[in-house]
Amino acid sequence: MEFLFQTILNGLMTSSFYALIAVGLSLVFGVMHIVNFAHGEFYMLGAYTVWILFAKLQWPFFLAVAAAIVLVGLLGLISERLIFRQAHGQVLSGFIMSVGLVFILQVAVVKIWGLGKMKPVPAAFPEILNLGGVSTSWQRFIVIPVTILLLGALWVFLDRFRIGRALRASALNPDAAALQGISPKKCAAVAMLLGSAMAGAAGALMAPIMSVHPYMGHSVVWTAFVVVIVGGPGNIKGSIYAALLFGFLTTVITTWIDSTVADLVNALVMLFLLALRPEGVMGHD
Amino acid sequence: MALLQLKNLGKDFGRLVAVNRIDLTVEPGEIRGLIGPNGSGKTTIFNLITGFIPPSRGSVFFQGEDITDLPPHAVARRGLARTFQLTTLFKEMTALENVVMACHLHLRVGLWRQFWRTARTRRREKAVEFRAMELLEFMGMAERANELAGELPHGHQCALGISNALATNPKMILLDEPVGGMNPTETAQTMDRIRRLRDLGITVLLVEHDMKAVMSTCDRITCINFGNKIAEGTARDVCSSQDVIEAYLGGTSGVCSL
Amino acid sequence: MIRRILVYIVDNFRWIGWLMILGAVLIVLPYMVRTYQVEVLILLLIDIILVVSFRLITTTGGWSLAHVPMMGCGAYATALLTAGLGVPFWISLPLSGLAAAVMAFILSYPLARTTGFAFFVASFAAGDSLRLCWTRFKTPFGGHKGLTNIPVPEFFSSVDLSAPIPYYYLALVITALCLLIMFRLDRSRIGHTFKAISMNADLSRSLGINVTFYKMLAFTIGSFFAGVAGVLLAHRLWAVVPAQFGFVTTLYLLVWVVFGGTRTFHGPILGVVVLTFLSELLKPLFEWVPMIFGTIIILTLIFFPEGLEGLGHRFTPWLDRQRFAAGDEPRH
Repeated sequence: MEFLFQTILNGLMTSSFYALIAVGLSLVFGVMHIVNFAHGEFYMLGAYTVWILFAKLQWPFFLAVAAAIVLVGLLGLISERLIFRQAHGQVLSGFIMSVGLVFILQVAVVKIWGLGKMKPVPAAFPEILNLGGVSTSWQRFIVIPVTILLLGALWVFLDRFRIGRALRASALNPDAAALQGISPKKCAAVAMLLGSAMAGAAGALMAPIMSVHPYMGHSVVWTAFVVVIVGGPGNIKGSIYAALLFGFLTTVITTWIDSTVADLVNALVMLFLLALRPEGVMGHD
Repeated sequence: MALLQLKNLGKDFGRLVAVNRIDLTVEPGEIRGLIGPNGSGKTTIFNLITGFIPPSRGSVFFQGEDITDLPPHAVARRGLARTFQLTTLFKEMTALENVVMACHLHLRVGLWRQFWRTARTRRREKAVEFRAMELLEFMGMAERANELAGELPHGHQCALGISNALATNPKMILLDEPVGGMNPTETAQTMDRIRRLRDLGITVLLVEHDMKAVMSTCDRITCINFGNKIAEGTARDVCSSQDVIEAYLGGTSGVCSL
Repeated sequence: MIRRILVYIVDNFRWIGWLMILGAVLIVLPYMVRTYQVEVLILLLIDIILVVSFRLITTTGGWSLAHVPMMGCGAYATALLTAGLGVPFWISLPLSGLAAAVMAFILSYPLARTTGFAFFVASFAAGDSLRLCWTRFKTPFGGHKGLTNIPVPEFFSSVDLSAPIPYYYLALVITALCLLIMFRLDRSRIGHTFKAISMNADLSRSLGINVTFYKMLAFTIGSFFAGVAGVLLAHRLWAVVPAQFGFVTTLYLLVWVVFGGTRTFHGPILGVVVLTFLSELLKPLFEWVPMIFGTIIILTLIFFPEGLEGLGHRFTPWLDRQRFAAGDEPRH
């Protein structure tokens, strides 16, 4: 019984993390048709921001996280202006451009902060949290409420604001934004800002838990892609469901076997689902 | 025996009923028009017949065979060809290369022989090229055979689209707005060619907004609205149908300006 | 028959002439450079097989991110066959290619049904699951450390294929053979059908082309040649490890191909040759090389999206059109 609760708790934490990463990616893909491979690097930069501000400059943790969200969001905005806008919605060009951006950001980080040893980020909340017999550290737990908060805020934005509605409409149908009277360019900029900010938030939250290094975005971004595909690209609700599915799948398999097998099973599950329903498993039908 | 028969065919997109329950029978040698206001489900019906989207209910019979669940290429192999609404061509190939590619089915040479380009393959390729040229001549495009398809004027692109469909050697052809965006002269020419298809033994089902063209060419006309069949018969019958008039009055223009 | 061949040679004298000059240069090249550079040339030849077979798959419209793992498939297959079972190199070479092809055929079933975004991610996941298998299963794949002691290919006893120059010639012959076959394929009806599918899949379907079948075919054939490239790599490095076939190699592959362009057969070759040359020049700055490549690729896509080959095209569209008009295949 305790084991079950522990698994559920771990599963929820993993799912929250996946959802935070994948929803941003899905939004960017839906609105801009960019398979943004540099999303993982945005996540990495979020973690670096926390390392600098929180671990080195001793800022309060949440202030550092907020700063990471803002900074990475702005970086996303800049990269949209300079690079992704030139892809003109072509999936292939956008993807390859983001690959180029990955190379650039990784080398920049290596050059500025060095490759050497990992960047230690102490836990901001080292206390142990006890929940009905199962325990985890507050630091790990915090990802769940923060994710719910951020996704809630995103939902309010997409639902209550005109530009948010335009964004949501254009994620499902590219021409729809124009109908709402908002230029696709503006939509793209906002999507990129929000999407990158969420990647930054994920990186910032995970910095004390994960090891912070220049290549940390790699494996994360692929899991996020798997989640987005299964959820149906551009479908935010679908991404959240898929994040739950893969979050629990990963947790269970990692507990029982190991994380490599978990990655393997994730990939195979996605391929299997694609073979059954190529147009996206929870796609908008 | 009917050549094409739709029984109770329907398609839902989520909660939206695009095509409700359509029964339609097309006899061999007929030119049948399919009309209806915008969004009434005409193109969806084409996509259902040719296997591009799976129907939610009902079935499609072609020459007495159930082709409901066949993929598009298998439908084409049975002699049921189609064109697309917006000019759909291999834009980076020349007109001739387009039609040669469309003759794909008639090469009848195995992959291995295609790879080695055996003497037989080359003979077949020559024959296919000859046939493709004939088709272009039939559609009045011979002198444009070596121009890139994407750079042809609109009327010729439409004609090339029909040539491509004809190249599969169909028994029946579905034309989706064959004269859309053409000037009156081009329209007249194209409709004339469509009439000549019948002489070649090809049955035609066409969707068209140009009522004058439809009325003057089609033997029988089926009118649909909101995914339901509302009238069927000769041009005169359909024109006088109260349902049709209402459907079109709600839309943009009158039907029968004959 | 002989007359026909003679006529063909005379007719095509110009490009046969160029090809002979190129061949002569490639034959004397290893004697003109240092030993280290011969090693680079060997890897370049392997990369050329890789990019050309990659382009073969892209002609149907899908950019597979599983291509490098497919090369790994060939490399692991030959390692297991030769080092493990003692199969001779010359039998293992086609067999390992075939192993990659069979694996590709199985994976192509879900892959061929996806397009665009889904194809990228699904093909990556497919390739990565192979790599995870190699990492995870110590028997027979050796885990992180991979497999070692892959034997040197045997040849007449007088030739030692462990030395760089003889191995260069081995790689040259095999590369030439692979390119010849793929060129032939590109120009055949099959190649035309691939291109038709990438231009317009729906139209192809409506004309009776079994699009899924042709996509699977291209994926399988391309992976066969990737597997062959993997065999050459494994027998040169005497070892295979999973990390060689990770995503970084795939990223480089994409950069080479985009930089060269995929419209023509020679485009990707041009890309890989120029960029390999460039990275050798930039050896002292090796830490910066990924950033330089990243910048190059973004600028390429923004300013000349057709790649290097497109530059040539800009100046010779008229010439090309004339060749097409004459019913002639464009020569390269």
